[in-house]
Amino acid sequence: MDELLAEFIAETREMLEQSGTELVAWEADPSDRARIDTIFRFVHTVKGNCGFFDFPLLEKLSHAAEDALAECRAGRREADPALVTAVLAIIDRIGNLADLIEAGEELVEDQNDAALIAALEADAAIEVQSDVTPVAPAADEEDGAAPVAAKRNAVQRSIRLPVDLLDEVMKGVSDMVLARNDLARRLREAGEQPTIDGPFERLSAILADVRTSITRMRMQRLEHLFTSLPRLVRDLSSELGKQVMVDFEGGEVELDREMIEMIRDPLTHIIRNAIDHGVETPAERLKKGKREIGLLRFAARQSGNQISLIITDDGGGIDTGRLSQKAVAAGIYSQAEIDSMSQAQKHQLIFEPGLSTADEVSAVSGRGVGMDVVRANLERVGGSITVSSKPGEGTSFHLHLPLTLSIIATLTVSSGGQNYAIPRNYIEEIVFGSANSVEFAQAGARRLITFRGRRVPCLSLADVLGTEDNERCEWETKTLVLVRLASDDVFALAVDRVHDHEDVVVKPIAPAIMQTKLYAGTTLLDDGTPMMLIDLPSIAQMRGLVGEMRSKPALVEETSDKQVKTAVPLMLFAGLDGRRRAVRLELVRRIDTVSSEAFDIDGTRAQAVINGRILPLAGLEHGSLPEGRCRLLRLSDGESEVVYAVSEVLDAAEMTGDLVVSGDDPTIEGVTLIEGKPVPLIDGHTLFFHYATPRPIAHPLTCRIPRDNDWARTILEPLVEAAGYRIAAEGDDEADLAIHMAGDVVDAGQARETIRLRPDPEDAGDGSIYRYDREGLLAELKRVRTGRAA
Amino acid sequence: MNDLLLMCTIAGRNAAIPALRVQTVLEIDSITPIPGTPDFICGLTPLRSQALTVVDCALALGFDEPCSSPDRRAAVVEIDGHLYALLVDSAQDVSQAESDLVAIPGGLGDGWQRAGLGMVETENGPVVLVDIEKIIAGPPALAA
Repeated sequence: MDELLAEFIAETREMLEQSGTELVAWEADPSDRARIDTIFRFVHTVKGNCGFFDFPLLEKLSHAAEDALAECRAGRREADPALVTAVLAIIDRIGNLADLIEAGEELVEDQNDAALIAALEADAAIEVQSDVTPVAPAADEEDGAAPVAAKRNAVQRSIRLPVDLLDEVMKGVSDMVLARNDLARRLREAGEQPTIDGPFERLSAILADVRTSITRMRMQRLEHLFTSLPRLVRDLSSELGKQVMVDFEGGEVELDREMIEMIRDPLTHIIRNAIDHGVETPAERLKKGKREIGLLRFAARQSGNQISLIITDDGGGIDTGRLSQKAVAAGIYSQAEIDSMSQAQKHQLIFEPGLSTADEVSAVSGRGVGMDVVRANLERVGGSITVSSKPGEGTSFHLHLPLTLSIIATLTVSSGGQNYAIPRNYIEEIVFGSANSVEFAQAGARRLITFRGRRVPCLSLADVLGTEDNERCEWETKTLVLVRLASDDVFALAVDRVHDHEDVVVKPIAPAIMQTKLYAGTTLLDDGTPMMLIDLPSIAQMRGLVGEMRSKPALVEETSDKQVKTAVPLMLFAGLDGRRRAVRLELVRRIDTVSSEAFDIDGTRAQAVINGRILPLAGLEHGSLPEGRCRLLRLSDGESEVVYAVSEVLDAAEMTGDLVVSGDDPTIEGVTLIEGKPVPLIDGHTLFFHYATPRPIAHPLTCRIPRDNDWARTILEPLVEAAGYRIAAEGDDEADLAIHMAGDVVDAGQARETIRLRPDPEDAGDGSIYRYDREGLLAELKRVRTGRAA
Repeated sequence: MNDLLLMCTIAGRNAAIPALRVQTVLEIDSITPIPGTPDFICGLTPLRSQALTVVDCALALGFDEPCSSPDRRAAVVEIDGHLYALLVDSAQDVSQAESDLVAIPGGLGDGWQRAGLGMVETENGPVVLVDIEKIIAGPPALAA
C-alpha cells in the first residue's frame, strides 16, 4: 500500500510540474479552452486517485475545482481572473497536501480550505480573493511551512528513472568489473607492490558494493504483481459465477523487474485454472460445508537466491481419476503406467501437454494453452513448478524462481578442451566414470550406465556438441554428471572434467546459435573469455530423453524405494558373538570406545562408566567383553541411555525388505534382509524396558559421609563420587545415603539408606562392610543407587 | 544517395556495409568456438562486457573459403539487440556512396545475389552493398 501511495504522490507531483506552465498561460488568458482542459484533467485525476486512498479533504478540494472548471468547459460560466486565482490556490494546496501525505502527517481540514472552496463560487469570488489567497500562504509560512518544508526535503527519497538508464549503469559496472579483473591479472604478473595493492583492494571492494546496489536497483517488490491480481480474480470469478477472496503474504519480497514480468502470464494462467477448475460454485461449496466464498492465497518467500511462490486455492482439488483417464485416452501413458504412479505423480500429469480436467472448454480456461506452457515458461527463466492437491480441500502450486533472470548458479565443466557451464539446479550427483559403482552398458546405439541400481541413459557432451564421436569416447576416463530435469527424467552427461561452482551472469545469444538448441546463453568469465551455458532440457528433448517410456517406470520404482528407505535407517554391527545385528539408527546417539576398566559387571547387572556417568550395559548376552578396548553403541530412548557392547560397528544400512517378526525372541523386533542376508533387528522397547534408568547425572543421589573423619574425606569421598553420588553438604537435610564408620555416633541427619563401614576385615555380623572392601562397597553403593532408580 | 559505406573485401571482392549500422571495427584476437553451430558462425568474442557472435561473411554468403586476413578485422553491428562481429577479409575506409543503389542486369552471381542489396558507385569503383540481415541468416542451405 505504501508503494501505491508513493506512486500517487509521485504522479501528483509530476502533474503539478507539468501543469505549472499551463497555469501561468491560463492566468494570462483565462478564456483559453485548451488550458482549462489540461487543468481540468489534472484535478480530475487527483480526485479519482483520492477516492482510492480515502483522503476526503483532498477529494473535496479537487472536486470543487473540477466542478468549477466543468462549468467553464460547458460554457455556463466565464473563466475570469478571480476563478483562475481560486483554482490556482487550490492546486497549490493540493501540492502542499501531497507533501504532508508523504511526510506521513495527518491531513486536517482548516478554515482556509473551506475558504478556498468558497472562493470558487461565482459570486463570492471577489470578496474571498482578497482575504483568502494572500492569507492562506501567509498562515502557512508562519506556523507550518518551515518545518513542513524541512521535512519535505528529508522525505524526498525516491526519484523516477528510466529502466534503460539503469541497464546502462549495470552494463557499465559489469565493464568495470572486467577491467578490474584485467588489472588484477596484470598486477599479479607484476609482482607485489604494496603501494598499489592497497588502493586496488579498496577499489575492488567498492566495486563489489556498487555492483550489489545496482542489482538491487533492478529489484521490485512482488507487491507490484500482487496489486493487479485482485481485479483479475474479481473479474474472473464474476464471469464464472463464483465468489473468490484473495489473500497475499510476502508482498515485500523483492524480485528482478524482468522476472516479475516473466511470471505475470504463468501466474495469470494458474489463477484462471484455480478459479475455473478449482474453486466450486457457492452452492456446491455450501453443500460441502465450506464457506461460500473461495479463498485464493498467494504466499511468497525468499530463500537464498531463490523465491518460492505458493498459490493455494481451497477448491475441490485435482481429480486424479479423471486426469488419469484423459492421459490414457490421449495416449500419453498406458493404463499400466498410470497404475504404477503414486498420487503425487498423478498430480503432475496436469503439466502434460494436451490434458485438461475441464470437460467443456470455457471462455476462461481449457483453451489448449495448458499448464504445460506454464511450466515451459517458468523453466525457461530457470524456475520450476510442482503441484500438490488434496481431494476436496484444494490445490497448491509451488513455484520456485531464481532471484534474477541474469544470474544463475552453474557448474563449469570442460569437454573437448573448452569450458561450459551447466545450470546447477539440474545436477543431482557427480561420479567418476572409473568408479566401481558405475557400470557402462550399451543398448543399440544408446549408452547406458548403471549406478546405485538404476540404469540411466548416458550422453557424452562431446558427442552432443559434435566435437567427438561416441565411438572414440573413452567412457571410463570421463566424469559423469547426473542430471535430473524438472520433469524428473534422469540422465548422465559425460564430460572431460568438472571444474568449479560459479555464479554467472547470463547473456542472451544470437538466434543463429539458439537454433542449435544446445545453449541457453553465454557468460563472460572473469578474464573476459566467453563461456556457453548448456541448455540441458533442450538437449534431453532432442535426444528423446524426456518423458520416455524407458525412464518413467524406472523412476516409479526408485521413488517407491525411497519411501521405504527413508522410513527405516539402521545401523549394522557385529555383536560380541560376531553375528551381524542391526539397531534402528534413530536410537543410536553415538559410538564410544572405552577400555575394559570402565565396565562394572556384577551378576546379572552390568554397567559401564562413560564420561563420569554410569550407564546400563547391554549386549553381554551374546558373549563376553573383549580384552582391552571395546566398542559401545550408546542408545537412547530420549530419556534414558543404554550402552550396547559390540565387537565391531559395521555400517549404516537401510531396511528395504519386510521385517519378519519372530515371536520367540522378545529381544529382537524381527529379522530383515540386508544385502540378501538375514539380520536380526534389536527391539528397542524390550531393551529399554530392561535397562532404562533415569539419567543419573541429572539427579545424582546424595550421600552423607562423616565430615570429621580424614579417612572418609580422602579415601571414601572420591570413591563414592565416582560411583555417581553427590556428597551431601552441611546444610542438606536429607540424604539418599549415609555412610557411618562403625562405632561412631550416628549422625542426626536423615538418610533413606545407611551403609556402615568397619575398620576390621573380620565380619562383625552386623551388616557392616570392611572399609577396604572396595567391591563390597561399590556393590552396596550400586544397590542403593539402582534400588532407588527402580 | 549519399550514404556512408564501410568499404571492405569479402571473398576477394570489394563490398560495402552501410556504415551507419556499424558500431565499430575491431581486430579480433580470440574466438571461443561454439560446437554445434553452422560453419559461418565462428564463435564468440568478447567486447568489453559483451559477447559478440562472430560471423564469417564469406561462409555466410555461401562461399567455400572462409575469410582470410592476417589481422582478422570485423565490423560490429547490432541486430535485434544482439551484437555480431562480421568477419571480412579486410576493412578499409568509410567512403561516400556516389550513386544510387542499382541492380545489375543478370544479377550479381552466386552468393552475392541473395545477400547483395545491389551495386553502388564509389570513388573506388563499383561495390556490392551487402544486406547484413541476410548475412546473419547464413547461407541458403541453412536459412531454408
